[in-house]
Amino acid sequence: MTPLRIGIVGSGFMGGVHAEAWRAAGSPVTSVLTRPGGSGAELASRHGARLTEDWDAFLDGVDVVDLCTPTHVHAEQALRAARAGRAVVVEKPLARTAAQAQDLVETCEALGVPLLVGHVLRFFPEYARAKEVVDRGDIGTPAVLRLSRNRSLPAKDGDSWFLDDAKSGGLVLDLMIHDLDYAQWVAGPVTSVYARSIRGSRPDADVDHAVALLRHADGAITHLEASWAHPPAVFRTYLEIAGTAGLLQSDSDRTAAVRPALRDPSPDDAVPLPGSPMSRSPFEAQMRHLLDVLAGDAEPVVTPREALAAVRAAEAAVESIRTGRPVLLPLEEGAR
Amino acid sequence: MTRIGLLGVAHLHVDAYIANLRAAGADVVGVTDADPVRGRQWAARYGVSWFDDPDALLAAGVDGVVVCSETSRHRPLVEAAARSGVAVLCEKPLATTAEDSAAVVEACRTAGVPLMTAFPMRFSPVMRDGVAEARSGRLGRVLSAVGVNQGQLPMAERSWFVDPTLSGGGALIDHVVHLTDILRWLLGADPVEVYAVANRILHGQVVGVETGGLVVLTFADGTFASIDSSWSRPERYPTWGGMALELVCERGVLSLDAFSQFLTVYGGREGDLAWPAWGSDPNQGLVDEFLAVCSRGIDPSVDGEDGHVATLVALAALESARTGRPVPLDAARSTQTR
Repeated sequence: MTPLRIGIVGSGFMGGVHAEAWRAAGSPVTSVLTRPGGSGAELASRHGARLTEDWDAFLDGVDVVDLCTPTHVHAEQALRAARAGRAVVVEKPLARTAAQAQDLVETCEALGVPLLVGHVLRFFPEYARAKEVVDRGDIGTPAVLRLSRNRSLPAKDGDSWFLDDAKSGGLVLDLMIHDLDYAQWVAGPVTSVYARSIRGSRPDADVDHAVALLRHADGAITHLEASWAHPPAVFRTYLEIAGTAGLLQSDSDRTAAVRPALRDPSPDDAVPLPGSPMSRSPFEAQMRHLLDVLAGDAEPVVTPREALAAVRAAEAAVESIRTGRPVLLPLEEGAR
Repeated sequence: MTRIGLLGVAHLHVDAYIANLRAAGADVVGVTDADPVRGRQWAARYGVSWFDDPDALLAAGVDGVVVCSETSRHRPLVEAAARSGVAVLCEKPLATTAEDSAAVVEACRTAGVPLMTAFPMRFSPVMRDGVAEARSGRLGRVLSAVGVNQGQLPMAERSWFVDPTLSGGGALIDHVVHLTDILRWLLGADPVEVYAVANRILHGQVVGVETGGLVVLTFADGTFASIDSSWSRPERYPTWGGMALELVCERGVLSLDAFSQFLTVYGGREGDLAWPAWGSDPNQGLVDEFLAVCSRGIDPSVDGEDGHVATLVALAALESARTGRPVPLDAARSTQTR
């Protein structure tokens, strides 16, 4: 079988991460689409990929389109690739709005085009193992979940799309969505979301931090925390699932196996984060899985409907932050 | 010697208070309880004189009473103590209804007797240092807080905790008050709104009250704080539970863990894994201050009003979990007149 020709759109931080992961998974990127004057040339040359600025030429040369672009253009670009019959990989979140995400999911279903969403948290080994342990019944029925993702604000240029809520969706759609997806994976569809954020309640403060309480259709409740308010060099994740037969916890403060601590960090240096290196990175595991799905050897771990449900829950959290009221989510839409 | 009477042995904290009272040199005059079988057993076990009813114990002459009955029975006991003109230390929450809670505070105010609410975490050196740090201004304003105060199902000790007519509810009524009080102390403000979700999946076959509970409190300036009061620590967890609070502030983050001061012991006599604590006992500070309230007439640092507001918050959490809507807390619901 001829290897899949994988094209990346978007050559920022996540484009680079995905390209490395495709290579590690044994299917290097063959094409990079860049804006005129964009930064794709460096990525293309690093991976020996063809560089183009033309969408049609790009689509002609690829089987799979991997979108690592800013969130607000995901839907439009994914529709373009899907209508050209290309399999679509989208970095999370699936789209900037639930309406866009729903349109995209329905279009890809109608066209019969694979739509694969990069909720890479499901491939982080502690999160994947926790899901296995729960599914095996080791801790019984999940009842109360706690999922936290606390870090410093990613270093970005002031004019970056990432810092513009209209484009990125902000803290909830960019960061909390990891755990919104994970919570629904473990405890089932969410039926109500109540959330608060510093940006929403204390607009004069220049940090953001959000908390959300979820109710799941099967009765479980979840506490979510996402933060960009921590000092540099903090990236702490915490996972707790209390079940009828046991309690499961995973705390990155305890599992980080490599902990650099500079005696005299230069202000110009990026502050190193603690890490837990794996022989196979979560991104590589994700890409290996996507290759299996595209070869017809596996069902996707993240279905398009689940990725849509994550965007819906995130949008509900944003609405709750705005209104101060819990937002109810109709079950049939999330669970269909 | 300060003379103390114990009104009720339902609350498991009385097992600790008796040791704290004796360590502080108090004279424990006697004990009474609504259940004479349980009460006499407790009196014999701890070597305390048994009295058939509260009035007899009060008539024996006490400077103060510690009310550790079932929550629903606090009110008549506090009212009797107030009529006798003695100081009261009352377990939390003050009552199972807002009306009874207000009546508890009012009875002591009218009688002019001091009422102290049993919030031992005010006397935790960890919490005291943490609150001092937060209030020092070094971290800037507190913007948000995430608190946890989970525990084991308390039924193993005392079954009434899971009887809603006696306790008022389950996990929400049992533990929400503690961090609510810490947050009020730390922020110097009362919450204005409460939202909560709850469920009964853990131990759902055994008890009829909520065992999972998550709460968000909102304050007037926009500060918000979450509290996890779930009975989510399994029976074989190395300790009863814990309390921790992480504050997101303008200039950084402050993490407090009131029960992190323990050793880890593997394969010892206490089991495969044990956490013997070496932290200070907050109950001792609580009891020491109450004795000073009784003997020297000082004002308690955590009073009936503090207990009342925390009780209202816990009751609002129950209401919110039931209705699915945020519950506003207005000042009119408070008994505050100062």
